[in-house]
Amino acid sequence: MASNTYTGKVTVMEVLVWILLVAVVLFTLAPIVFMFVASFMDAKQILSMPFNWIPSKSYFTSADRTFFTNFHKAIWGNNNSFSFPRNIVNSLVVAITDSVTTVLLASLAGYGIAKFKFKGRNFVFMAIMATMMIPFEAIMIPLYMVASGMRMINTYQGLIVPFMVSAFGVFQMRQYLITFPSEYLDAARVDGLNEFRIYSRIVLPNCTPVVATLGILSFRNQWDNLLWPLLVAQSEKMKTIPQYITKFSEEKQTDEGAMMACAFIASIPMFLLFACLSKYFIGGAAVYESRKG
Amino acid sequence: MSKTKHYSIERKQARWGFLFTVPCLLFFAIFSFYPIINAFFTSLTNRDVLKKSWKFIGFENYAYLFFPDKYGTNGGFTLWNSLRASLTFTMGTFIPMVVISLILAVLLSQLRSTRQKGFFQISYYMPAVLSSVVAASIWMILFDPRGLVNQLSNWMMHTEGRDFQWLTDNTMLQVSTMIVYFWKYIGYFVILFITGLASIPPTIYEAAIVDGSTRWHTFWKITLPLLKPTIVLVSIMAMLQCLKTFSTQYMFVQNGAARQPIDVITMNIYFTGIRMRKIGRASAMSIVLFVIMLLLTYVQFALSKTDEVDY
Amino acid sequence: MKKKVFALLVSLLAVGSMAFAQGSQEAASKKEDNSPITIEFWTHEDANRQALEDRYIKEFQETHPNVTVNVTRQSAEKLIELVGTAFAAGQGPTMFNLSINDERPLIDNELVAPMDYAAAGYKDAKDVVDKYAAGSIDPVMKDGEVYGLPLELTQWAIFLNKKVFRDAGLDPEKDYPKTWEDMVEVSKKIVKRDGDVLTRRGYDFRYKYYLENNIPMVEQLGGALVSEDGKEAVVGKDAWIKFFQFMKDWGPNGQNLGSPTYTAARKLFNKDNGDIAMCSTGLYQEARILHDNPDFYNSGEWMVVPYPKFKDAVKYVPSNYYGHYYMVNASADERTRKAAWELIGYMLSHGDEYLDKVGLVQPSKALFESETFKKAPYSDVFQSQLEQGHIVYYGANSTAIQSALDTAVKSVMLQGVSPEDAYKQLKQTVQELIDEQ
Repeated sequence: MASNTYTGKVTVMEVLVWILLVAVVLFTLAPIVFMFVASFMDAKQILSMPFNWIPSKSYFTSADRTFFTNFHKAIWGNNNSFSFPRNIVNSLVVAITDSVTTVLLASLAGYGIAKFKFKGRNFVFMAIMATMMIPFEAIMIPLYMVASGMRMINTYQGLIVPFMVSAFGVFQMRQYLITFPSEYLDAARVDGLNEFRIYSRIVLPNCTPVVATLGILSFRNQWDNLLWPLLVAQSEKMKTIPQYITKFSEEKQTDEGAMMACAFIASIPMFLLFACLSKYFIGGAAVYESRKG
Repeated sequence: MSKTKHYSIERKQARWGFLFTVPCLLFFAIFSFYPIINAFFTSLTNRDVLKKSWKFIGFENYAYLFFPDKYGTNGGFTLWNSLRASLTFTMGTFIPMVVISLILAVLLSQLRSTRQKGFFQISYYMPAVLSSVVAASIWMILFDPRGLVNQLSNWMMHTEGRDFQWLTDNTMLQVSTMIVYFWKYIGYFVILFITGLASIPPTIYEAAIVDGSTRWHTFWKITLPLLKPTIVLVSIMAMLQCLKTFSTQYMFVQNGAARQPIDVITMNIYFTGIRMRKIGRASAMSIVLFVIMLLLTYVQFALSKTDEVDY
Repeated sequence: MKKKVFALLVSLLAVGSMAFAQGSQEAASKKEDNSPITIEFWTHEDANRQALEDRYIKEFQETHPNVTVNVTRQSAEKLIELVGTAFAAGQGPTMFNLSINDERPLIDNELVAPMDYAAAGYKDAKDVVDKYAAGSIDPVMKDGEVYGLPLELTQWAIFLNKKVFRDAGLDPEKDYPKTWEDMVEVSKKIVKRDGDVLTRRGYDFRYKYYLENNIPMVEQLGGALVSEDGKEAVVGKDAWIKFFQFMKDWGPNGQNLGSPTYTAARKLFNKDNGDIAMCSTGLYQEARILHDNPDFYNSGEWMVVPYPKFKDAVKYVPSNYYGHYYMVNASADERTRKAAWELIGYMLSHGDEYLDKVGLVQPSKALFESETFKKAPYSDVFQSQLEQGHIVYYGANSTAIQSALDTAVKSVMLQGVSPEDAYKQLKQTVQELIDEQ
C-alpha cells in the first residue's frame, strides 16, 4: 500500500480495492504454491490438519528421503519405466509442430479471407467458423476411424495432424488482417511480386504479435490435450505428458506427493515459456481486440 | 478496355485468395466436416460400438433423449439432466467470471504503475498456464475432507471439524467444479477486458472529467456502454467454452466423485459412446450440443450487429 | 540380503523356464513358414506382473525368432475405453485382457477368436474345462468353444491391520468382524475424527466396484441383481432396502464411518500409517504390500479374514469374483492368432510364479494343488471363499449397471435420498438396461 502514493491520500475505497486485488492473487497463486510445497511432502503431511506449508525437515535427511522418493517416482514412474523424458519430448514435438502449422495455415487462410473477394468467401468463412461449434467429444470416434484409416495410430502424425490448424486461429488472423493497410499490398503488386510472395514477405512478417499469440495459444492447447492422445498414443513411448500425469491419479497407485512432484515438473516448461514470453501471453488472447478499435 | 483488364486482375487475385484457403478447407473437410456428418448419420442408427450390424432408426435416438419417461433414462443419465448440469455450470461459471473479471480489469486499469499492473496480470494469469490435468489433480487434494479448502471453510465459518463435503454433496460438488474452472480462466478474461478498456480513447475520459462527472458515473455512463461489444464477445466466448467443459468433470469423476450432479453433456457423450458403447445415441447427443452452440453463436452475431458502437 | 535371495530365485527360475521353453521350440521349428509375425499385446499396468511377463515374452521371442511382440500397457480403466474404441474402428490388438464383464460383449459380437487349442497346449475345449476349476471357464464359453484363458480370478476378502486394532483396544484375532453388524461396531471403536472429518477409518468400501463388493450383501439378504431367468432386475425389495439403509448408516449422514470422498481404503492399507484398519482386496494385495512396504509385510502385523455376512442372512455369499482372460482378436490372420495362443499358453504355464510374484490366482486345478498355493499366506481363506462364491454379473450392460449402482449408493449415502426411492429408481434403470440387451 505504501507504493500507492499517486493520489497522496489513501482513501478507504482504495484500501478496499487493494485488499480485493491481493485477495485474488492469493486465490490464484495459493494452489500453485501448494503444488510446489506438496511435492516435497508425504501423503500424511499433505492432508494434515492444520496444514503446514513448510515441508518437514526430516524429508530431506538421508533416513526418510520422502523428497527423493517423490521426485524419483515422478521421473521414473511407478514401474520404473522411465518414459518421462520421452513423454516430455513427445509433448514438445507435438505442441511446437502444431503451433507452427497453425500459424502458417491460419494466417494463409485468414489472409485469403480478409483481403480477397472471391466467390463464396463468406460461405467459406462461415463454414470454418461453424467448426468451432463442434465439440471434440462429438467427433472423437469418427476422427479415430479417420486416423486409423490413415495408419496414424501410435505415430507423431496421429498426434499432430488433427490439430494442425484451428478455426479460432483463422478467425483471429482474419480479424487482425482485415485492418491491414491494403496500400502495402497494392504497392507490392505494382512492384511485380506474386501473391504468395506478398504473403510470405509482407503479410506474415507484419503480424508478429498475432502470430506470437496464436502460436502460444495452440502450444498451450496441445500441451494440455488429454483426450485425443489417450486414444491415439497407445504405446508407452508415444504418450504425452498429460497422459503421464493421469497415471498418478489412478485409484490403486495414487501417491499425492509423487503426483504433485510430477505435476510440478510437468509444469516447468510452461512456466519457462510463460516467463520468456509473458508479454505475448498477456497481450495474449486479445490482440485482435486491440486492433479492432 | 482498362476496366475489363482491371476486372480480370481482380479475378486472378480472387483465385489466389481462394487458393490460400484451400489447405485449411481440405483440413477441415477431413477432420471436422466429415466426422460431424458421420456423427449425424450415426445418430440416425442404433449402432453399438462393438456390433457389426446396425440399422437406420430415423430420429428414434432423439426421441429417446428428449422423452425419457416414455423411452428410457440412458442408464439414469438423461440428456435433460446433462442439459441441467451444463446449464448450471455455464451460468454459475460464466456470469461470475464475466462480472468479476470486468471489475478486476477496471480496478487494474486504474493503477498507474505498469509494474503493479503487470504483477497482478501475471499472477491472475498463472493458473491458465497449468494444464487441466494438473489443475484437477491439485484441486482434488485441496477439496479432500481433510484438505486445505475444508480447513479454510471451517475457519471462515467459525466451525470446527465440519465436513463441508466439497466433493460429495450435490450442490457443493457443482460449486467445486465451478471454482476450478473460475480459478483457471479468470486471468484470461481479466486480460481480455483490460485490452478492451485500453482501446477506449482516453480523450473520452478527459472530456468526462472536464464535465465534472464522478468516477462512478463515468463507469456507468461511459466505460460500460463503450465496452459493450467486448462484453458481448467475451460473454459468448466464455459461454461456449463453459459448454464445452470436459476435463475438470472427467477428472473429478475418475477420482470418485458422483457423476450425476456434474454430468455435463460432453461427459455424457463420452460415457454413453465409449463406456456404454451406444454410439448412435451418443452421436445424437453431440448433434444436440452442436445445434445449441450454433444457436448461441447466431445470437452472438445478431447481438453484436445491432450494438455496433462507434467512438 | 532379501534382495539377493530374490535375485537368485528369479535367475534360477529363469534358467528353469528357459529349459522348458527349449522344448516347445522344437515343436515350433518344424513349421516351414517363418515369415515375420507381429503380435500387438495390450494389457493393464501392474509393476509386478510386468517384470514377469516381459521376461516370458523375451524367452518366447528367443524360441520364436520370427515373432515380434509389441506390448502396450495402459491403466486398467483406460484400457477398457481403448480396446472398445479400437474394435469400433475395426482395429484392435492381437491379444489383450480385460475384466470379464468388458470381454463378454466381444465374445457375443464375434470380435474375438475361439481358442487354438493345440497352440495353447490343450487337446480340445473339454480339456481346457477339465484343467481349470469348476465354472471358471464358463464365462468365456460360447457354442462349445472356449474364447479365453484366465490370467487371474480374483476374489476379495478383508485385509486387516493388527496394529490399528490393538491401538483401539481390540484383539484382532478375536474381535475381527464376522458380520456386517460387527463391522459397524468395530469401526465405531476404531474411527478417529477431527470434528466430522474422519482421520482414521475402521473399514471402507470400494466405491467403484459394487458388483463385486456390494451385490453379495444384497444376496445374503435374499435379494439379487437379476432374477434367475435374467428378465427381472433388482429382485427382492426388502433385501435392497436393508442394504441401502446399511449404506446410509455407514455414510457421513449416518454414523459417519466412511465415504467415497476419502482416499481409497485399499490404497492406504499398504502404507501402514494408521489411517485405515481394514479394506477389501484380493490375494494380489499380498504381493503389492511386499512391493510397496516390505517392512510391513514381514512384520506379520496384517491378516486376512473372510468377507462378512449379515446376522440374519439367508445364506452366506462371499464377495463376487471377477476374472481377467487373455483373448485373441478374430480379425488377426490365422498364423498370428496361432502365435498369440502359443504365447498365451507359454505365459500361463507359469501359474505358480504368477501367484508367487504377483499374487494372481489362475484357477487351474494344478495350481490349487500346488505347494506354492498352499504356502501363500491365507490362501485357505481365499480358497474356501472361492468355493462358496460365484462370478460377478457380466452381461453386456454391466458397465452401465455398475454406474447405476454407483448413483444409487451415493444418492442414499450423500444426498439424503431415502432407501425406498433409491430402490425404485435403481430398479427402473437396471430393468431398462436389461431389457435393451
